[in-house]
Amino acid sequence: MSHSDLYAEVDRSAYTNALAKSSPITKTFFALSALVLCVAAPTFVPTFIVPILIFILCTILILGIAKVNPRLYLNLLIYPTLMLVLSCIFLALFFGTGDPITQISLPWTTWSIYKSGILMSVHTFFRVEGALSCLFFLVLTTSITDLSLILRRIHVPKVLLEISLLIYRYIFVFLEVTEQMSTAQLMRLGKGGWLKRIRGLALLAGNLFIRSLEQAERTFTAMNARGYDGNIRVLEDFPQPNKMMLILIALFNVLLILVIYTLYLTNFGVL
Amino acid sequence: MLFKIEHLTHQYSDGTIALNDISLEFDRGDRIALLGTNGSGKTTLLNHLNGILKPTSGTIYCEDKPLGYSSKALLELRRRVGFVFQDPNDQLFAPTVKQDVAFGPLNLGMSQEQVKSIVADALQTVGMSDFAEKPPHFLSLGQKKRVALAGVLAMQPEVIIMDEPTSNLDPRATSEILHLLLQLNKEKGITLLLATHDVDMVPLFANKLFILKKGVLMSEGKPKELFSNTELIREVYLRSPRIAHLFEVLKKENNLPIADDYPLTISEARKEILRLLDAVKNVS
Repeated sequence: MSHSDLYAEVDRSAYTNALAKSSPITKTFFALSALVLCVAAPTFVPTFIVPILIFILCTILILGIAKVNPRLYLNLLIYPTLMLVLSCIFLALFFGTGDPITQISLPWTTWSIYKSGILMSVHTFFRVEGALSCLFFLVLTTSITDLSLILRRIHVPKVLLEISLLIYRYIFVFLEVTEQMSTAQLMRLGKGGWLKRIRGLALLAGNLFIRSLEQAERTFTAMNARGYDGNIRVLEDFPQPNKMMLILIALFNVLLILVIYTLYLTNFGVL
Repeated sequence: MLFKIEHLTHQYSDGTIALNDISLEFDRGDRIALLGTNGSGKTTLLNHLNGILKPTSGTIYCEDKPLGYSSKALLELRRRVGFVFQDPNDQLFAPTVKQDVAFGPLNLGMSQEQVKSIVADALQTVGMSDFAEKPPHFLSLGQKKRVALAGVLAMQPEVIIMDEPTSNLDPRATSEILHLLLQLNKEKGITLLLATHDVDMVPLFANKLFILKKGVLMSEGKPKELFSNTELIREVYLRSPRIAHLFEVLKKENNLPIADDYPLTISEARKEILRLLDAVKNVS
């Protein structure tokens, strides 16, 4: 999957998944609260089961309930995970304090590997994976339109919202234009050398810029023709949250907090 | 008269005179085709009718009152005169179909509840109800055109202006749009004003025809009258509808006894052929 395809797929999923019509408030509440728990859970031995639990739950929700294409989810996960694995190896090998587990002597220094470093790396791994699954849950099940309505509700500045929605809409128009132009270039130049390709890219970028200016002009005219007065008004029409669901999510959060607390107590010998 | 244009001239800031001393009028319920080649000034003329452009000189009257250009007058004018742009990507700016259709009526200050039902009605009329929650980039060009039309319909206009309503559409989408427009004209009495250079389409819907060439109004009248005037049609770089052309050839080259006003549509051609066959039968 190319990058632009991946984005288009995510966008399509947000509108067509089985949870698309359920309340964005519920979905956002779930994703954000899980994200906070994932990131805020304190670091000691067994607490990484919280991020693991969240990861499993989000994956079940994404694949089982929202029926998102598993290939898409995997494609999304794979790039950050690769990065993460590299960072975690680095963390495990070069970070940490206390008594080293093993020491390798090199001509200029001694290289020590610590238990705390390995622990930190494992924690980081699960924490990031858990957080990623929360965010992917949100973007794969909730459309930009619904998210913008929520942002509007919590009083994010209107200018910011309007601009981002217009950008969102015209990304897809320009993706199409870009594809057409680059195909047209390919048809006439073939795949030339590196320099030719850079030149082609420069031409494409320049053209796209001019096109976008023209598009802005025409869109503005068209908006005026329907009585635009500087304010983009929107229809505030989205599914209301199910109170039971909200309470259920809140209970789930409380449960996780209790799990963390118990683990904390057992670990530090109070219980 | 619903609209009356007197001596309208428009000069763009680069000096081009896009419209030159145009005077015309049309009434409620008319189905008008504005015909001309690319660059003949069709779009410029249309842009004057809902106040996007202001005349350099001349006056436009709507129900005998000259158009005002205050923001309040413009809002009222734009409610009454809906404009569907040639490229629906110019017009559809909102993230979903429903939000886009709601844009116009919300600008008119209607309540959320009112707008919801108006949007549902408009989408129903154009047959796009199933797509209400979809973003425009999921739709085909024909579907986008219909949504753009719904966005204008939602403002409950008296006149609908469409710039090249059928350009780039496949035959089926073309005939769907045409039928939809005719239905709106018939059932809601909406005046139609379509700019086009698709001469085969014109006889199917228009009862009045204006022909532009290089910013000058060359002729006006009923399609039958104007298309019979083959010299005029050639002079403005257009052509007759294919069917009319066929009958012209049959008459001039094969000396068939065909009436002077050539048939323009299939049903007219059918009648003419049957008449000819009858005549042949009677002779033999």
